[in-house]
Order: sequence, then C-alpha cells, then structure tokens
Amino acid sequence: MINLLPLIRNECLKIIKKKRFYVILLILIVLVPMFTYAQMRIAERSRDKFNSDWRLEIQQQITDNENSLGSDRIPEEWKSYRRIFVQQLQYYLDHNVNPNEPSGVTFTRQFLDNSVSLFIPLLIMAIASDLVSGERTTGTIKMLLTRPVRRWKVLFSKMTALLMFVSLIVLSTFIISYLISGLVFGFKGFNVPVFTGFQISGDTVDMSGVHAVPQWKYLLMQGGLIWYVSVVVALLAFMVSVLVRSTAASIVVMMAALIAGTILTNMASAWTTAKYLFMVNLGLTGYLSGTPAPIEGMSLSFSLIVLAIWAAVSVIISFAVFTKRDILN
Amino acid sequence: MNDSKWTWRSVSLISIATTLVLITGFGYAVSDVLFPKGDIPLTSLPQATPAPENGAVKSFKVVALGDSLAKGTGDNTGNGYVKNTVAGLAASGVSAELLGNMGINGLTTAGLQNKLKDAGIQYSLRQANVILLSIGGNDLFRGADLLQNGGAGNTPAGSSVGTTGETGTGTKPGTAEGKHSGTGTTPGASGEKETNDLTPESLLAALPEAAERLGKILNTISEINPAARIYYVGLYNPFGDVQEMLVPGNQAVTAWNNAAMDIINRNSKITLVPTFDLFNNHLDKYLSSDHFHPNSDGYKRIGERIVQAIQ
Amino acid sequence: MAKEMKDGSGTVVLSVDGVRKKIGRKWIIDNVTFDVREGEIFGFLGPNGAGKTTTIRMLVDLIRPSEGKITVCGYNVNKDPEKALQYVGSIVENPEVYTYLTGWENLQHFARMQPGVDEARIAEVVDTVRLDQRIHDKVSTYSLGMRQRLGIAQALLGRPRLLILDEPTNGLDPKGIKELREFIRNLADGGLAVFVSSHLLSEIQLLCDRVAIISKGRVLAVGGVDELVARNSPYVLWELEPFDKGRQLLAERPDVILADPAEITLDDSVIAGMGPNSLITIMDDSLIPEIVAVLVMAGVEVRGVHKINPTLEQLFLKLTEGETID
Repeated sequence: MINLLPLIRNECLKIIKKKRFYVILLILIVLVPMFTYAQMRIAERSRDKFNSDWRLEIQQQITDNENSLGSDRIPEEWKSYRRIFVQQLQYYLDHNVNPNEPSGVTFTRQFLDNSVSLFIPLLIMAIASDLVSGERTTGTIKMLLTRPVRRWKVLFSKMTALLMFVSLIVLSTFIISYLISGLVFGFKGFNVPVFTGFQISGDTVDMSGVHAVPQWKYLLMQGGLIWYVSVVVALLAFMVSVLVRSTAASIVVMMAALIAGTILTNMASAWTTAKYLFMVNLGLTGYLSGTPAPIEGMSLSFSLIVLAIWAAVSVIISFAVFTKRDILN
Repeated sequence: MNDSKWTWRSVSLISIATTLVLITGFGYAVSDVLFPKGDIPLTSLPQATPAPENGAVKSFKVVALGDSLAKGTGDNTGNGYVKNTVAGLAASGVSAELLGNMGINGLTTAGLQNKLKDAGIQYSLRQANVILLSIGGNDLFRGADLLQNGGAGNTPAGSSVGTTGETGTGTKPGTAEGKHSGTGTTPGASGEKETNDLTPESLLAALPEAAERLGKILNTISEINPAARIYYVGLYNPFGDVQEMLVPGNQAVTAWNNAAMDIINRNSKITLVPTFDLFNNHLDKYLSSDHFHPNSDGYKRIGERIVQAIQ
Repeated sequence: MAKEMKDGSGTVVLSVDGVRKKIGRKWIIDNVTFDVREGEIFGFLGPNGAGKTTTIRMLVDLIRPSEGKITVCGYNVNKDPEKALQYVGSIVENPEVYTYLTGWENLQHFARMQPGVDEARIAEVVDTVRLDQRIHDKVSTYSLGMRQRLGIAQALLGRPRLLILDEPTNGLDPKGIKELREFIRNLADGGLAVFVSSHLLSEIQLLCDRVAIISKGRVLAVGGVDELVARNSPYVLWELEPFDKGRQLLAERPDVILADPAEITLDDSVIAGMGPNSLITIMDDSLIPEIVAVLVMAGVEVRGVHKINPTLEQLFLKLTEGETID
C-alpha cells in the first residue's frame, strides 16, 4: 500500500524540474518592472500637473467623471460605474485618505486587483494545464499508471501538488511585485488606511458599512480572495488537462474561457444569466474594493458559490474520467 | 538525492504555510465583505489651513470653476480659456500652473452652490491664488444645454468617447457632432424646437434668482479663500445670429452682466472679465459649430482678456 | 499468496482468461487466453494492428477488458491493481521516461511508487543494466539504447515476477538486439517470467520458449516455438543442372511437393536470388541428404540447396488456412 506523501513529492519535483515554476517567476520578474515603470510615469505626470497634491488630483478626477456623467454618449452601465467611482473618490477625499498613496504596498494592492481575473489565472494555467495532458503527450502516463498505485491516488497527488503551487504562485506574485515596486516607490505603506465595505446597490453606494483597514490587512484579505479564485481556476484547468490529450489544446481551451470572461465582464449587464459562468466571477477582489460587479445580482457570496460549484464539478469529472478511462495511447 | 530532498522540504513547508495564511486572509475577506462593521471612520477632514500667501513671488496657482466654458467645451484644441490663460501668463514670464479645472458641462448657479459645499472643491480653492469662474449661462439659456446634447444624441456617438477617462478630449467628438445639427444644414426638428422655447420672457425670468445665487457663490468662494483673486467671466449672447433672438438675448445678457458687476464692485478681490463686446457681431468668427460655445479662437480671446485683467 | 498452479514447467505467473475488449462497436480483442509461467520467455506474435499492444495494455491495467479476467500471481489486475501490479515490471511501447529528469531521478520517482524499493535497490538495478556511467545525466541526453536500458531498469526496480516488454528490439542495432536477447535470457534463467511481443517470427524463434500467435484480436495458436515452427514444413530451394531431369526426379518422389513460386509467399530476397534453374519444394528438411544423393547418382549436378525458414506470413497462412494478413 503506497502512502500519498511520496506521490505528492514526485509531482512537486516534476513541476520544479520541468521548470514551469521558474518560467512563472521569470514572467513576473520581466512584467512587473514594466507595470512599475508605467505606474511611475503616471505618478510623475500627476506630480507635475497637480503640484504633488493628491487631493487636487482626486478632485480633478471627480470633476472629470462628473462631466462624463452628463453626456448622453456614454452607456448607462458606464455611468453607474462612474457614479459609484465618484462617490468612493469623494469618500476618500472627504476623509483625507489618499487612495493611491504611492508606495510599493499600494502598487502591489492595485496590481493584484488588476491581475486577479486574467493575469494570475494565466500563470496558474502554465502549471495546471500541463499536469495530466503533459504526461499523455509524452507517453509517461503509461509509466505512471502501471505502478501498483490506484489511479485516484495518482490524480489526487497531482491535484495536491497543484494546490501547493497555486499558493506559491500567489505568494510569489505578492513578493515580486512588492520588491520590485518597492525599489521605485519605497517599501513602506503597510499601515496606510484603505477603505472597504462599500455596499453597492444600483448606482448608489451605501457608506454605512465603510471602514478603514490597514493596508497590510487589506493585502491579506486580497490574497485570500485571489487564492480562492486561483484554486478554482487551477481545478478547472486541471479538469481540462485530464479531458484533453494535448497540453496545447488544454491551454487554448482555458485561455479562450478566461479571455471570453474578460470580454463578457466588459460587455456585461444585458445578458444576466452570464453571471453563472465562472469566468465573470473571477474578480472577487472587486467586492473588497467596492468595484461594482459586472452583472446585476452578483455579490461576494453569489460568486463564491458559483465558483465553488464549478470547482466541485470539475473535481468530480476529473476523478471520474481519470479513474475509468482506458489509456489508448 | 540531498538536493531534491531539500527542495521538497522547503517547497512543502512554504506552500503549506502560505496556504494557511491565504486561507486566513480569505476568512477575513469573506467576513469583512459579508458583514461590514461600519465604524464611522476617524473623520479627518482636509486641513482647513488656507494656502500660504506668497505675496512677493509672482507665482500664479490657478483653479477654474464653473460651467462648460470653464471646461472648454467647443474648443477642439481642448484648451478652453483656462489653459489659454495659464499659457498666456506663462508666456508673459511669470510662473503659472493650473491646479485643477472643476468645470462641469451644464452646471448652473444652483449646481455650483452645491459643489462649493464639497470638501474637495473647497480644498482645491484654498490651494489657489487665482480662481477663474464662469457660471450663469446655463441659468439663462436653459435650452442651450439640451440643444448641445440633443445634437450629439442624434448621431451615434463614437464609442471611443465612453472609454477614455480624459473628459477634456472626450468632449471633442461630441462638439464635432453638435456641428451637424447646429449648423442647420439638416433641418433638425429638435434644434428648431428648442430655439423656439427660448423667448425673451423665459430668458429674463430666471435672472433675478440666478443673480442672487451668483452673489452668494462669489461670497462663498472669497470666504473659502480670502487671499485669492477671483476672475468672473461675463456672459456673451450666443444667439446673436438668430434673428428673433438677437435683441432679447442681448438684453438678457446685458442685464446679467450688470447684475454681476453690481455684486463684484462690492469686493475688491473680484474682477469681471467682459466677453459681451468680444462676441458681439463676431459670432461667426468666435463661436463653435454648436452655435453656443466659443471655438478655440473665441477661447483664446477670452484667455487674453483674463491675462490682461490679472496683470 | 500466488495460486500455485503447477503445469509441468512452473508456476503460472500471468493468466489471461477469455479476455475480450470492445471499443466503439468493434471487438478489438476477441477471446484471448494464455498462461505465462515463471522462468519462461513467452512470445506474443502478431502483425502490427493485430491487438498486441491493446492486450499488453490490458495486462498492466491501462485498459480495462470488457470481458474476461487477467490475474498476476493470483491477483486480478483490474480489481486489485495495487497488489497485482506489484509483481509486474513493464515497458509499454517505447520506454517513455521523464526527459527533464536524470536517469537516477526517474528511478527514484518510480521507486517512490512501489513498496520496498530503496536507494540500494536503485543502484543495483542501474548496475544490472550498466547505466552507472551516465545515470546522473539528464535523460534528454541519452541515446535510444540507453533509454531502453533505463526503461528496463525501471521495470526491474520492484523485483517483479513478470516482465512485460512490448517490441523490445524496436530501434536497436543488431549488437544491441543480441545483448538484449542475452540479457532477457539471463533474467528468465533467474526465475522471472518474461512476456515479449513482436511482429518478427525470427525474433520470437531466437528468444522465446513458448509463443501465442495473435491475429485480428484472436489468439490463433499457443505452444512451444519449435513445435509451432515444426508444424510448417520448410521450403527448400534447389539449383539443378540439368534442370529438367532434376525436376522430374524430384516430382517423382511422393514425399516432395513442387511448389509454384507464384502461389507461395516468399521473401523478396529469396525470389531475387532464384536463378533460371531453380525450383522450390515443400518437404521435410531431414530428407535433403538423401535426395541430394539420389540426384547425384542420377547424374544431376546439385549446384545449391537452400533451406528457407518459414516466415510469419507462412505460419499465418497455415494457421488461418489461407486467410491473408493485412
């Protein structure tokens, strides 16, 4: 009877030796400086324009958004989005809190907000999409499954290794973006207050639940939500990897789904049943920052449940298929 | 081998620790979002200290406030009189910077009164030593705003407008669309109707109340920042080229400008910058294609006037 | 532990009983039955596409049979793979190991998947297949022969009682094939049951003790290799001068059949080597000396006598009574 631990160890070592994880780190190390640089340019520009006074900048931002609210050319969904945005900016301004306090921590927070629904899932896919289909592509699956080990154990060890690396990817994203942006914006800012608890109904914001949270705690909460999203994406990609024979096909399937998600999120609203799709529910951190959900009727608990169902179904399918299927080639 | 044993140990330990931390964060996040306990935040309002008065150094810090004129609607260079003023000041050798432009399309005196209650607006005003204000046009020509928006609504708007955050550039396509319905080449029923709504009576009806509000506005601004100089941009008659509107329009605008003058004369920090004479008989030259807002040349001229007034 | 089933030559290690497999609507494997005993090399002979690989995959639980039963050392492979596969080492098709790992890491990987394999055992196996020089290099730098040896090493790791090799000589040079043959023979002499599939009769003849012949998903025959080959009288090619007289003499003999070259299946090389004065007979090869004597006595010059071993195709023709293989 073979213990699970050595199997998990095997799978972890394979992920490491296959250099997938290094590739992910490399992607982060190449891309984060680019985002940091872009952010630095924005900060420089606003410093020139607004005399380094963030309050003036926020006021200008509010005015600009209010101006666009008056225009008939802007679709109603955009307007309500902007109305909410204006109210939140106003709240920050009224309480003399800079929502974009330039620091490595703030950059990390904003970068993660922006990467939760596409960038991090793509990194996750780099590992998940290959786990089973990669063994089928190279034929090593035959070696793996002719051992005196039950198939569910093999799959379970792969899934566990995947979840371990999901955590590592989330952690690396945090650390790399903090370290790199910290070089430019400074490493302080963990105690800067961030407002959370904006409750959005229609296009008004209920401020009664708003409270300030130190940025480190905000990052922790954000990390938790990103982790949840990442686990769901990982399990889905894992299922695709079980179902599809080639890694390339597996990546394409997941990528198409994710990109469709971002497109749908932007088109949004009109087709309300789209809210049951997993890919429009990936922006969990939006509930924390108070960004309106892409489709009416979505809330944190709704999104968590939808994602959990998708994940559970994909785990069931993965195991059902993997343990029953004939390995024909 | 030893190498792989070490890797395995560190990977498993780090990932387990990270997972636990992330799950904790997840728990926090879920409870925080689902049950937000709104502790009314430690309300730290923006500091009430006025901007330091630097009387000796001639450095202009400009904030603009008001309606679409302040915003620069109709100027296809996107400058408006605000940027023209700042540029004019800078060209004359003094340092000048624009701290913010709070111009909002369609803003009326009543709207501006509300705006002035905003802490953020107050803060901005406090940082300035030159405040440019244009307001009142929308009180007098209520239909004009409709005219502009109606014009834009007739043609499907360029989708790029919705996505750009920069409203300064975003309005440009709008005014360009306004051109088509405004020029009257297409007998736009809506444009016709709205012009007809503007009667001499309706123009004058709004005047007393609006003028009173203007007075209050100017007072509020100088209360917020007693040190700053305020330049109020007077109105012009945009309907000089509509035959039946020429005289009543002129009358209404003159009445307004006089009322403004009355208020302004009482406060030495406030200056009225006249524009009526500038536009009178030169509408074809200085008005943009929406027949309401100035074009870029018009704004340039207003800017020049303000620069003269400041210096 | 294992069910002791003495069958003359040894314990039955692998027992395949009435196995059938349906894929789609087609019966890919239709009733395969045979036993493999310890210490013997069992050949599984059939043309490509006959169902060899499918059968092998069923032996190691990669494919589940639709009907029938496969047991290894008494354990049902499909119902109890954790026990049954413990006794099996296999290479299915090519030895596909992880190319991004070193040979040693590969063996460690597989060692973790079966009980009772420690570092010492890995070293022992590496020694057995003589890979010790390069074992810490990445597999991506290995030659095909080395990968083959690594494949065998992983198959031997768990001290199996049954070794399954699928077309093991594929891609090896003649020297490598010879070495492999000796190696397998040694393993069998040590008590291991070896199951080897091949589409080459010659290979099976050289290597195996017993053979099962499969075609179109059916086992046509199971038996000793010699016995199977002997059932097929070999062809004998004669080169005679004067030809007509010699031909007449041969035709007169009741124990010799003159074959029409157009109707029998022969290697192309044999047909190319046939001169104008050649003819082919079907006869027992033990008669050759006697017939040569008769011909010489009659004044016929025997320029050449060649025994042509039966090919797989001939065997099939015989077994299927004319049904050709495709």
